[in-house]
Amino acid sequence: MIGTDFLHPAVWFIAMAAILPLLPGDRWRRLLPVPAVLAILSVLSVKSGTYGEIHYLGQTLTLGRVDTLATVFAHVFAIQALIGFIYSMHLTDKAQHVAASLYVAGGFGCVFAGDYLTLFMFWELMSVASTFLIWLNRRKDSTAAGFRYFMFHTLGGLFLLGGMLIRYKVVGTFAFTPTGPDMARWYDYLILLGFCVNAALVPLHAWLPDAYPRATITGAVFMSAFTTKTAVYVLARGFSGFEVLAVGGTIMAVYGVCYACIENNARRILSYHIVSQVGYMVAGIGIATPLTMNGACAHAYAHIIYKGLLFMTTGAVLYAAGTARLNELGGLVRRLPWVFVLYMVAAVSISGMPLFSGFVSKTMVIAGAAEAHRTWLALGLELASVGTFLSVGLKLPYFAFYAKPDDMTRSLTPVPGNMYVAMGIGAFLCFFIGVYPQFLYAMLPFEAHYVPYTAWHVLQISILLGFTGYGFYLMVQRLKPEPGFNMDFEFFYIMFGRLFLRLCRYPFALVDTWWSAVYRTGGLRGLLAWAKGSSVFDRVVIDGVVDGTAGRVRSLGHAAAGTQTGRLQTYITGAVLLFLAATGLVATLMLLN
Amino acid sequence: MMTESTFPLLSALVFLPLAGAVALPFIKDDRTIRLFSLIIGLMETAMALPLLRYQPGVPGFQFVEQIPWVPEWGLTYFLGVDGISLLMILLTVGLLPLCVLCSWNYIGKRIREFHFMLLLMTSACIGVFASLDFVLFYLFWEAMLVPMYLLIAVWGGPRRKYASIKFFLYTLAGSTMLLVAIVAFFNSAGTFSIPELMTREYPFGFQFWAFLAMALAFAVKCPMFPFHTWLPAAHVEAPTAGSVLLASVLLKMGTYGFLRFCIPLTPDAALYFAPLMIGLSIASIIYGGLVALGQQDMKKLIAYSSVGHMGFVTLGIFMFNLRGVEGALLQMLNHGITTGALFMLVGAVYERSHSREIADNMGLGKFLPAYMFFFGLFSLSSLGFPGTNSFVGEVLVLVGAFQSNVIIGALAIPGAMLAAAYMLRLLQKLAWGKPESGSRCTDLSIREWAYLAPLAALVLYIGLAPTRTLSIINPSITDLLETFRSKTAITASIDPAGPHPVPSTLAVNRQEVLK
Repeated sequence: MIGTDFLHPAVWFIAMAAILPLLPGDRWRRLLPVPAVLAILSVLSVKSGTYGEIHYLGQTLTLGRVDTLATVFAHVFAIQALIGFIYSMHLTDKAQHVAASLYVAGGFGCVFAGDYLTLFMFWELMSVASTFLIWLNRRKDSTAAGFRYFMFHTLGGLFLLGGMLIRYKVVGTFAFTPTGPDMARWYDYLILLGFCVNAALVPLHAWLPDAYPRATITGAVFMSAFTTKTAVYVLARGFSGFEVLAVGGTIMAVYGVCYACIENNARRILSYHIVSQVGYMVAGIGIATPLTMNGACAHAYAHIIYKGLLFMTTGAVLYAAGTARLNELGGLVRRLPWVFVLYMVAAVSISGMPLFSGFVSKTMVIAGAAEAHRTWLALGLELASVGTFLSVGLKLPYFAFYAKPDDMTRSLTPVPGNMYVAMGIGAFLCFFIGVYPQFLYAMLPFEAHYVPYTAWHVLQISILLGFTGYGFYLMVQRLKPEPGFNMDFEFFYIMFGRLFLRLCRYPFALVDTWWSAVYRTGGLRGLLAWAKGSSVFDRVVIDGVVDGTAGRVRSLGHAAAGTQTGRLQTYITGAVLLFLAATGLVATLMLLN
Repeated sequence: MMTESTFPLLSALVFLPLAGAVALPFIKDDRTIRLFSLIIGLMETAMALPLLRYQPGVPGFQFVEQIPWVPEWGLTYFLGVDGISLLMILLTVGLLPLCVLCSWNYIGKRIREFHFMLLLMTSACIGVFASLDFVLFYLFWEAMLVPMYLLIAVWGGPRRKYASIKFFLYTLAGSTMLLVAIVAFFNSAGTFSIPELMTREYPFGFQFWAFLAMALAFAVKCPMFPFHTWLPAAHVEAPTAGSVLLASVLLKMGTYGFLRFCIPLTPDAALYFAPLMIGLSIASIIYGGLVALGQQDMKKLIAYSSVGHMGFVTLGIFMFNLRGVEGALLQMLNHGITTGALFMLVGAVYERSHSREIADNMGLGKFLPAYMFFFGLFSLSSLGFPGTNSFVGEVLVLVGAFQSNVIIGALAIPGAMLAAAYMLRLLQKLAWGKPESGSRCTDLSIREWAYLAPLAALVLYIGLAPTRTLSIINPSITDLLETFRSKTAITASIDPAGPHPVPSTLAVNRQEVLK
C-alpha cells in the first residue's frame, strides 16, 4: 500500500474504522474528516505508475495502479468522502461511521486495483459495508431491504468471482486490463454481468430504488456516490466499446426518468435518477469514442457531487420533517429556505442548466454520441434530460417545498450546522465546475476537445428546459404525488426467488431430512458407540494388562516378603533344603553328561 | 562439520535454570519466588534469541561445545544443535515463563519446591535436545523423570500417587532398554559421540535389536499405541504447568529420539520395521481420536488427542520422504504450542469452576468471550484448520503419506476427521452448552492474556507464513534423508572376471559386496 510516492487513500479509512470503536468520549467526531483530507492530499500528489505490489501464494496483487482514469475517480471520491463525513459529523452512532469508512476504503481500493483479486476483495468490502449502512437505519423495512440488497450484491460478486476465476484458468493471469468487444468470451461476459449489477443496468437495477430510500440519511449520501461510480470506473477500465453497454445505458437513462416521474418518495425519485444518470455514463463507455469516454468520466465526477448534494438536501428534509414522501410534505420553503436553495442548485445541475456542473458534463456525452452518429442513443439521452428536469428539477421541489400552505402543526427538527456546511461545499463545487470547467477537463484521461459554452449548446438546453417547465406548469395537477408502490423489475426477482425456494423446500429438503436421519442414527450414534467402546477397551484391556502386570509383580513381592518370617529355624531349613536341591541338580547334570 | 561457538550458549541455556533453582532456597517470600522464576524464564528466553542466528544451509551441528568429560570411558560433554533440535529448544525455553505465569494462582502449597522442579525440568529438557553424547543424552533423559514425578505426586489431583508412579515406572522401563542400546553401540563403535556413531555402518542383526531397544523407549515416550496408557493418567492428575511441560516437551522427546537415533543409526532396521511403526501410528491416530470422542473429562480428552497427534508425527517420520518428515517435525512444534495452550486454558477454567468435567463447564461463551476466543482458536488449530499452524504440519504429513502409499494416506484421513469431531464437540459444549455454568466466572485477567497471546500469535504466524520455520528445518531433514537413503541403498559390485551367475540381484536393504 505504501509506495515511494503514494499512500493508498484506503489505508486512512481502514485505520479510522479500526480505531474509532476504541476512542472514548465525545470528541472523536472531530477526527471524521481527517482521512478524507489525507486522501485528497494523497490523490493530488500522486504520479502515475504502479505501486504496492504484493506477492502472496504465487500471485501478484497490485494495490496501486495509478493513471489518469483512476485518478479522476479517486479525486472525486476523496472530495465526496470529505463532504459525506462532514455531513455525518452530528451522528454519535460509531457503527455508521465505521461502516462508511470501510465503504469508502473499498471504493478507493477498487479504483486503484491493478488485478482482479484485489478488485474482488475491495468489491466485497464495499458490498458488506454498504449493507450495514442500510441495516443501521434500524427500521423493519430497512432490515428487509438490507437483506435483499446484500443477496443481490453477493450474486453480482459471485458473477464477478466466477468469471474472473474461469478467465484465469483460460488466460493465465488476473491482471485487470481492457477486454476488447470482439475478443470477449463467455467468462468476460460473466464479469461484465457482475459489474453491471453494481452499475444498476436495467434489468439488474431494482436493488437501487429498493435499498437507497431505506438507508440511513447519511449512508444514502455515501452510497449514491461510491457503488455505482466504482462500477462505472471498472466498466470504463475493462469493457469500453461494448455495444450492449451503449444500448443498455440509453435504456437505463430513459427507464430511470420514467419511473422517477411517477414516484412519491423523494429519495426513491433520486434513486431512479441514479439509474438514469449512470445510464449516461454507461452509454458513453459503450460508444467509446474519446469524447464519450471523457464525457462518462466528467459526468461521473459531476454526478457524484450533485447527486450527493441532492441526497443531502432531501436527507435534511427527511431529518427535519421525519418523512420523505412528497404527499406528506409541502410548504416547507419558509422554514427551510437554505435547504431549498441548495436543493435547487443541485437540481439545476442535474438538469444541465448552464453555469452548473451538469451542463459541462452531461452534454459532452450527448454530443459525443451525436458525433459518433448514434442518432437514437443521442436522442434517447436528450429525452432523459427532459424527464430529469421534470421530476427532480420541478416536481420534487414543488411538491416538497411549495404546493400546499405550510402545516404549522408539524414541528421540524432543526438541521445541524455540519449538514449545511457539507451542502454548501457541494453547491459551491457544482457552481464552480459549471463556470470553470477547465478544472474538471484538465483531469480527464482521454484526448478530446470539447467546448461546452457554445451558442448552440446553450440554446439547445434552454429550449429543452423551457418547454419542460411550461409543460410542468400545464400539467402540475396531473403530476400530483400519490402514495403507493410502483412495481419494478423486482417482480421477476421475486418470481425467481419463489421458484428457487420451492425447489429447495420440496425435493432438496426431503432428501436432506432423510439423509440427516441416516447420519444421526447410523453415523453419529455409531461413531459415539465406537468411541465409548474404545474408551472401555483402553481402560479394561490395555490398562488391565499394564496395571495387572504391576499388580502381579506387587503380589509376587508380597508373597516373597511372606518368606521373611524372621525366625532362624525357617532360614536354616530353607538354606539346607536349597543346598540339597542344588547338590542334587549338579549331580544329575554330571550323571547325564 | 561442526561450527564451534565462542560463547557457550547451549551450556548457558542448560545451566541457567539450574543456577536459578539452586538460588531458590535463599528466597523466603512466595511472591518473590514466583517473580524470580518468571525472571529466570524471561532471561532464558532472551538468551535463546541468538539461537535464531542459526544458519540453515550449513551442514552439521552449530553452536557446538565439546569438552572431554571422562576420557577413560570415552565420555565427552558434547552439545550442539541442528535444524531438528533447534525448534524444540526454542519451544522449551519459550514455555518456561508461560508455565510460571499459568501456575501463579494455581499452586497453593510448597511454592519454592514447585518452581525448583520447573527449573530443573527445563534444564533437563534443553539438555536432552542439545546433547550430542549418548551418555549425556541418557543422563538428561533420566534427569527429567524425577522432577516430573514429583510435580505430579505432590501437586497433582486425587489419584496422583497412582498416576505419578505409573508415569515414572513405565517411562523408566522403556528407557532401560535405551541404556542397553547405548552400551551396545559403544561396544560396537568404541565411542559415545553421536555424530561419530552416525558416520558408521552396523550389521543388520545389530541394527535389528538396537532399533527395537531404542524404539521401545521412544514409543513409550511418544506415546504410541499400545504404550500410551500412562499419558491420560499423568495428564489428568498433573497440575497445569506439569501437563503443559508433559504435553509440549516430554512427548516430543520420543519423536526426537526416533529422528535423531533410530533413523541415522539404524536405517536398515528402521526401513524393515517401518510397516509396523506405520501401523502403530495409524492405530494411534484413529484409536486416540475414538477414545477422545468418548471422554467427559477435558484433560483426558486433550490427552488422548495428544496420542492422535503424535501418531501423525510418527507416521510422518516413517514415511522417509521430505514432506513427511518435514511435516512431522513441524507438527512437533505445533503440537507443543497448541496443546500447551489448551492445557493452560483448561487450567484457567479449573481455577474458576474447580472441575475438569465438561458438564460442569458448559455455556461459557456468553460470560467469558475472550477465553472462548482463545479456546476456539486453539481448538481450530488442534483439529488442523487451514490458517493455523497444525494445518501446515498435518497437510505436509498427509502429502508425504499419499506420496508414499495412497492406502496409508487414506487410512490417516479418518483420524483428521475424528480430531475435528471431538474438538468441535468440546468447543460447542464449552461455548454454548446448557445448563450454563459460567455466570459466576470472570473473564481472562492480564496475566492470562500474557501467557495466551504469544501462543495465539505463533499459531497464526506459523499457519499463515510458515516459510521461515520450514527453512530452518528443511536442510537438516534433507541431509538426514540423504544419509538414510545412501545407507539403505542397494549397491553391488561384481568382479567382472569371475564366473558368476548373471545378473546378480541383491536383496533389498542389504549392502553386499560380491567377490
